[in-house]
Amino acid sequence: MGDFSVVWSELLKIFPILNGEIVYPLQEIEKEVFEDVYRHLNSLGSVETFTAILDLEVESTVRNILAPKLWKQLASDAEPKEKSDQVMTIAEITAKDGLFSKFIDAVNELYDGYRCLLEMKPRLIRLNKNAASSSDVENIKSTLRNALLARLPPTFNSFISDFYSVHYGLFTKDSILSSTTIDSEVFTELPCPGCNYDHDQCCCQQLTEMVNSTNLKLLEMGLIDRLAGSALTILIKLKIKEHINDTCLGIFDRSHLKQLETWINDVVMTWLTSIFTEWRSGDDINNEQIPESVQAFKVKLTYFMYETFAQNVISQFFSIIIDYPDSTPAIEDLKICMEKIDMRVHLTESLRSALEARILHPGVNTMDILTGYVAAIKAIRHLDNTGVILEIVTAPIKDYLRKRNDTVRRVVTGLTEEGPTDLSEELAKGELIKDGKDAGLNEFSNWENWEPDPFGIDPDVLQMNNSKIIRSADIISMVVDIYGSKELFMVEYRNLMADRLLSQLDFNSEKEIRNLELLKIRFGESLLHSCEVMLKDVTDSKRINAHIHGDGNINESTLFDITSLIISAQFWPSFNKESLQLPEELENEFKKFTKAYESYKGNRTLNWRTVTGRVNIVIEIGERVMEMTVPPTQAVIIYHFQHKSVWTLDELSSLIKVPPSALRRRISFWQNHGLITETEPGVFSLLEEESEKIEFEEMNITDADEEDLESAMASASDQREEELQVFWSYIVGMLTNLDSMPIDRIHQMLKLFASNGGGVEFTQDELKHFLQRKVREHKLLFSGGVYQLAK
Amino acid sequence: MKVTIKSWTGVASWRWIANDENCGICRMSFESTCPECALPGDDCPLVWGVCSHCFHMHCIVKWLNLQPLNKQCPMCRQSWKFNIH
Repeated sequence: MGDFSVVWSELLKIFPILNGEIVYPLQEIEKEVFEDVYRHLNSLGSVETFTAILDLEVESTVRNILAPKLWKQLASDAEPKEKSDQVMTIAEITAKDGLFSKFIDAVNELYDGYRCLLEMKPRLIRLNKNAASSSDVENIKSTLRNALLARLPPTFNSFISDFYSVHYGLFTKDSILSSTTIDSEVFTELPCPGCNYDHDQCCCQQLTEMVNSTNLKLLEMGLIDRLAGSALTILIKLKIKEHINDTCLGIFDRSHLKQLETWINDVVMTWLTSIFTEWRSGDDINNEQIPESVQAFKVKLTYFMYETFAQNVISQFFSIIIDYPDSTPAIEDLKICMEKIDMRVHLTESLRSALEARILHPGVNTMDILTGYVAAIKAIRHLDNTGVILEIVTAPIKDYLRKRNDTVRRVVTGLTEEGPTDLSEELAKGELIKDGKDAGLNEFSNWENWEPDPFGIDPDVLQMNNSKIIRSADIISMVVDIYGSKELFMVEYRNLMADRLLSQLDFNSEKEIRNLELLKIRFGESLLHSCEVMLKDVTDSKRINAHIHGDGNINESTLFDITSLIISAQFWPSFNKESLQLPEELENEFKKFTKAYESYKGNRTLNWRTVTGRVNIVIEIGERVMEMTVPPTQAVIIYHFQHKSVWTLDELSSLIKVPPSALRRRISFWQNHGLITETEPGVFSLLEEESEKIEFEEMNITDADEEDLESAMASASDQREEELQVFWSYIVGMLTNLDSMPIDRIHQMLKLFASNGGGVEFTQDELKHFLQRKVREHKLLFSGGVYQLAK
Repeated sequence: MKVTIKSWTGVASWRWIANDENCGICRMSFESTCPECALPGDDCPLVWGVCSHCFHMHCIVKWLNLQPLNKQCPMCRQSWKFNIH
């Protein structure tokens, strides 16, 4: 048997793996030894058996030695790497824990083992010419892959990505150098972008060689795609994200997509190709050389690029909205992205939350919210002209604006203000608001232009909103739509117009008429009917005044000229309840005017609203003469002081029928002018002595104090309350019959009545307000969530 | 001190001198218009009958046209005659 052990030792020499040894390069074996061994085996009749044994041995070596060795080596300093370490610089990697070089070493060793195993095959063939088909290179490769994957440690991906980010850094070094804007002198002071060492000790060249050879080895073993694939994808995605962040963040005024596409092609794809093929820089790539896996990568990455870009744009969409129309290119880009990928849900959600965070809080004033709203309408319409996204995104803005009580006022101001505001420009365009009916008609006659609703939106939401979605609505109607009805908006418009007319009192309504005509085009005549009557009152008053003053129609001589705005009260908003009693001699003047009016317009007379108006008075005090224009109340106050220089608040209050608190406020106007002083609480006296006078020459002609510009009209909430007052009798009736009711029942019942009456709409909140007031007035009791009549 | 009022720009609302608030036919306020009119006042005047009832002119004219035989005041059923002042 001495022969046998000799043969075995020969065999071990030829196939060292039989002994569990992996040696590379293998030592050369002379031909005679092969022949000798073959002869022996043949004589033993065990050539086939040996072939099978060797195959098994190769497999088990791969499983039990190569794979564990690799992992062991990599895991030897087994601190699991954290995510953030992935972007660690090369210098750190190479210097600190040698992960990078460890990886390279490990791969080298793996490669040696692999080569050693590969050598086994030709040797076996030399031994046994029949063994050709039993195991081949592919087989070993796949065994290797399987063995490696079976024990893939979790840290491996970080090794791979470290390795490839070095690779990537080296690869893109040139393009960074060429695209950088930093001038060269500064640049040399910065570390080299490839290896992160200072320039004088740059080791890019070395690194590149190391990296390339390792990569080639991995490639040869067929490991890149399977093993490194996922890590590579993650890495590239990271790089794409970085690139997009670097190049596109905050820049909306030009398009980025083209640039990004070329970047993907030129940089990322070339790099990938260089990994997956034996391509070296300088060669031309032609498409046939690019392996399929890279092609598949390209599709995947391009989509990822679009997605990342779109997300990037979406996350900044609020700024884009604010910048619109300068940000149009960014919107165009996003539009292209949205055609490729479904981002709508993401868009709507992120935009909604951005809007809520940025403008829908108490710190933002209403005008700014409106500006944002208008910009959002414009920008989103540019993105999606079906209006579905717009509807969904702007719903919270509308809800919020509805809660602010100055919204309508701001809208109206925006509409009518001088100067270029978004709204007044829109109004001036003078487009007609389409009614729902017309739009429906258009949809059918224009069926060729019909476009489906954008997909990717929850159909329920769509269904719910469907009726409300305004397909081709313009900005004005979107703004008016905040309240869901034009009526409320028009009421506010009327109130504001009344305020303006009453505060100006210059009988000059041309601008108002122009605005009104524009609004009429949009909202129809019927809603603006009162406004029209109001403006007609203004022009009529002008004529009547001219008539009365003209032909000596006032027969008796007058103390002063009276001009009057004569209004048709039914068509004006109701006035607030302030009053003012004029001194008799002044009242007589008004009676004269009324008489003249009565004789001009038969069967009609005038009710004076004395509080409102403007009086031009001259005050002579000592040697001074002041001429000023003041509201009637102020005029009457000072008028009374000329006969009696000391008044108590109560006296004066009962004389001119102004409540003391309001009167005190009015008197303060004269106190500010240095004419009246409060000598002791509640007692006011005239300051006639010049010495006590404060400098007021410069105020010789002043307009009314700011506070007197306050509205003469009842405030909107007062009016509202009056409207609700209508329901009070219903409520009393209800509670008499049913004893006690919760608020939602009351609200429901009232809605029933209200819809019969065809009139007032109100929310439960408003009702609650109203009922609470009644509770305060002890007309109702509220306990345990139900309202009862107070006994 | 002497206060001289040079001019006064005031505000007044006009109303019909009538013994009622609303037109008995259209139930609208006199100061408002009849259902067919847009502008109140001169464009939609009141008329008085000798029975002292008054209506929007357009309302009573329409009413009278609907009465085939006896033109009566819709309020008091006396025969209608315009009271010309």
